[in-house]
Amino acid sequence: MPDLSVGLPGLVMHNPLMLASGVQGGSARALQRVAASDAGGMVTKSIGPVPREMYPGPVCVEAMDSVVLNAMGLPNPGADVFAEILSNENFSKPLLVSIFGGCAEEYVEVAKKLDDAGASAFELNLSCPHSKPGSRALIIGQQAKSIHDVVSAVRDAVDAPLYAKLTPNTTDITIEAKAALEAGADGLSLINTVSAIEVDPYAGRPVIGNLLCGLSGPAIRPIAQRKVAEIALSMRRGEIPSAPILGIGGINTGLDVARFVMLGASAVQIGSALIWGDVEKFKEISVELSEFMDLNGYRDISSMQGIALDSLEGLS
Amino acid sequence: MSLRAPPHNRLPLDMSRLSDACSLRLALSFEPRKLISAPIPLPLVEVQFEAEGIATLWVQVPNSMATQYRPGQYFMCWNPYDSTGGMSRPHFHSEKPYSVGDIRVGHSHAHQLVEAETGRQGRDFLGFTIKDLGRQSGELTRLSVGDWLAIRGPFGTAFPQMNAGERLVLVSGGIGSTPMHMAAREARHRLGDDVRIEAIMGFRNAEESHYVSRMESICDSLRITTDDGSLGTQGFPTALLPELLGNYHDGRTVLLTCGPEPMMLPVLQMAVDSAIKCYAAMERYLPCSMAVCGLCMVGDRLICKDGPVMDGDWLLQQDDFGSSHGHWAAVG
Ligand SMILES: Cc1cc2nc3c(=O)[nH]c(=O)nc-3n(C[C@H](O)[C@H](O)[C@H](O)COP(=O)(O)O)c2cc1C
Ligand code: FES
Repeated sequence: MPDLSVGLPGLVMHNPLMLASGVQGGSARALQRVAASDAGGMVTKSIGPVPREMYPGPVCVEAMDSVVLNAMGLPNPGADVFAEILSNENFSKPLLVSIFGGCAEEYVEVAKKLDDAGASAFELNLSCPHSKPGSRALIIGQQAKSIHDVVSAVRDAVDAPLYAKLTPNTTDITIEAKAALEAGADGLSLINTVSAIEVDPYAGRPVIGNLLCGLSGPAIRPIAQRKVAEIALSMRRGEIPSAPILGIGGINTGLDVARFVMLGASAVQIGSALIWGDVEKFKEISVELSEFMDLNGYRDISSMQGIALDSLEGLS
Repeated sequence: MSLRAPPHNRLPLDMSRLSDACSLRLALSFEPRKLISAPIPLPLVEVQFEAEGIATLWVQVPNSMATQYRPGQYFMCWNPYDSTGGMSRPHFHSEKPYSVGDIRVGHSHAHQLVEAETGRQGRDFLGFTIKDLGRQSGELTRLSVGDWLAIRGPFGTAFPQMNAGERLVLVSGGIGSTPMHMAAREARHRLGDDVRIEAIMGFRNAEESHYVSRMESICDSLRITTDDGSLGTQGFPTALLPELLGNYHDGRTVLLTCGPEPMMLPVLQMAVDSAIKCYAAMERYLPCSMAVCGLCMVGDRLICKDGPVMDGDWLLQQDDFGSSHGHWAAVG
């Protein structure tokens, strides 16, 4: 049987399949339910400085086959309540605590509270509007300078491993990757959802309560793969520091995992697929991945990693 | 930010053609996976008064949806022009889960009556019976014919199907009447006289009572309780349940219940104590219905996927089942 285990900063996992942020992982009970599944690791719902309510519904729909739209509104219990959860619970799987804020100071505030409560590693969700005047039109993850500010501030405040979660909604994702890694991130997670809007022509308005939304699910997988490949290639060429990449976007089968790994990812995260299979998806995907690797003679994850990049080497 | 129905400077609409077109749209979306996964707006073809603050909203659906719907399953219902709606309002739930209360399938007797009234032959309709329990449901009960209701679904689990020779005991509280009616209707439809159906309907008072004539026409026996005694027996449904369960120790009885959790808890307990198989349809607010928000848990299960119909024995073992937190939200 192939060895699916991976060891990354803060993430020693029996397989490379993690729960993506924002899907089910907002409470102790929900995280325990995922921990009891075959997931290798988990990312929490993004936690901010104060509690936040959900946006008006519909908050998440499947607009067409495999085209998932959501605008949940980052509902979360806030750093204080989540700190209590972290101090009271033991999880059987490694946990990245996803955090967000409107500026570097807020990220630091949340990171410190959760670090004190025992968080062993963080994912910085950079897909948040900047709250400071002058930068509001863009999210933090679209501005290399803001990324640098946030990551280096959190880097200074806590010792735990940091993964910076990148948005695909920029021109050249290697710029944001570079900013995060040079500021001290230990790894990268990508991609977050793709900016989207869908209108119902009979209703004459957008179908999501919040009007604007993010696109996820199998529809975005090739986009995500491209972004992972661009960053991995840039690392190979030594243009940006090397670090593990957690591939995210539309993963629904074991073959999808292999695709991301072959483009350079060290592990993956799975979100929307739970719509169709709930937490049993982790078992299903790990069995498929294991069978695929067995059939094709891949001993372990690292023996597959990056092999599809070789053909891209010559591209500039 | 205010959202309005499409501009009124449009040409007059032929509601009948519009409803047919929307129904066709539903059919195309429903067919591949037997699920409408994004809301499809439908014009209301009829709004039926049930009681003070309770109305049934009728929408036209394709025959496949009307016949394949299983009692207990729910639809997410959304009024896209909710007048108090807007972006990012806390506690603003503009889309909520409702189970189907009544169905009119082409060629049924009830259907022929509607046909006579509306001239809409051979069509099928779903009726959502909604009680004004809060902002969103209140808005829905005040809609009129020609207003829009967007639906997606059906989601979730259904009641188990009855077998010939079995007895069905139905216990509802308030608006929990609607899935009980659909369960009774399905059992009678499939098994005719080979199933005995006995129901208890609990209401706050006579003014709240609804669905009584629908249930009377299907059930072999119907008992009504009201909190204040203004109709039927004074008290909760549990007051009349022992006499109904006492008769049945033959392993051929199934109890279904739907209503506020503090009512369902003792009902299920009585059934389990009498060794009667029982199921509850959970009425809680389900924010997403898609297994993504993780906020609909009871025990270690998601109500949106593993429910709303859940095993009574299992529910009784969950420490977060039975308080009143869920009820207002589910149907509000
Ligand atoms: C319902 C939903 C909620 C999400 N919430 C968050 C969140 O709180 N923080 C975050 O970083 N990403 C969030 N995401 C993005 C996912 O983590 C992931 O990056 C994206 O959905 C692509 O992966 P997928 O196609 O497997 O879902 C959310 C996605 C969905 C579908
Ligand atoms: S309603 Fe969101 S997970 Fe069940």
